[in-house]
Amino acid sequence: MPLTYNEMSVGNTLPPYTAGPMTRTHFVRYAGAAGDFNPLHHDETFVRAIGLDSVIAHGMLIMGIAGEAVCSWIDGKNLRKLSTRFLSMTKPQDWHNPENTKSRATIVVTGKIVKIYQENGEKLMKCDIIAKDLLGSRKLDGFFIAALP
Amino acid sequence: MVDKEKEGFEFPKYTMKVEKAKIIEFALAVSLRQKKEDINPIYYDEEAAKKAGYKGIPVPPTFMTSFFFWTGGGLAEIVSVLGMDISKVLHSEEEYEYLGQIYAGDIITREMKVTQIYQRGKKQRAGMFVNVVVLETIVTNQQGETVGKVRSLMMERQ
Repeated sequence: MPLTYNEMSVGNTLPPYTAGPMTRTHFVRYAGAAGDFNPLHHDETFVRAIGLDSVIAHGMLIMGIAGEAVCSWIDGKNLRKLSTRFLSMTKPQDWHNPENTKSRATIVVTGKIVKIYQENGEKLMKCDIIAKDLLGSRKLDGFFIAALP
Repeated sequence: MVDKEKEGFEFPKYTMKVEKAKIIEFALAVSLRQKKEDINPIYYDEEAAKKAGYKGIPVPPTFMTSFFFWTGGGLAEIVSVLGMDISKVLHSEEEYEYLGQIYAGDIITREMKVTQIYQRGKKQRAGMFVNVVVLETIVTNQQGETVGKVRSLMMERQ
């Protein structure tokens, strides 16, 4: 059942959405899907040359995960805006050290409604969102605006 | 380093078709799944999409990013036109405004413009002084409807 305007109020929370752990293979799949072949996300020789010790996830993959989180709660067709800032790098789970690298590669998206209002004849909500890894490191924050039936 | 003269620069218009298979690939990628049966059926089954209130197979919320990367030589070309050094570039913000729906089979035109180039941070703090490039894109479908607007912010470390 779609959520309605009358059911929503400020302070309501987006059901927490967990994704991962992500491996390099997830990054490569995203690169191919989105067309973003920045070597930063798949080529260890490139990242070493610029002083990092591991490839990192595309910021847009984390935003894509946030989009999934949002669409697990509201219909995509009701989205009016999705806006994010990328806050820190996300390293993948390593095959030779899976237990110690799983938390850094698992993303949890949470959110909270900050405004319920009407504009141009639409009933809208604004919801702040934040994505963190399981260590508590913030990956992105931002908000979405959605129309409610 | 980014060429400040590029403020106001408009990239050539590019057109591309929204391929059905590409939507599935994208939905798999952002949901970290392996097979299409595990994603929301609206992204591969037209009947399911119609039942859910769409006119056709829709795209995931961040799909518009692929218009940036799959046209005009992609990231490498964009970065090179702007004079940026790929090894110093980070994507720092992204915003989508949804003005309509994008469906499988649509022919999309993207018009992208460099709206701002500025510097941010303190010169004495190494790594914290960056060039900021703001790109704005208007996405139009084959009926001439503006279906989306994108605002992307890229940072280039100095």
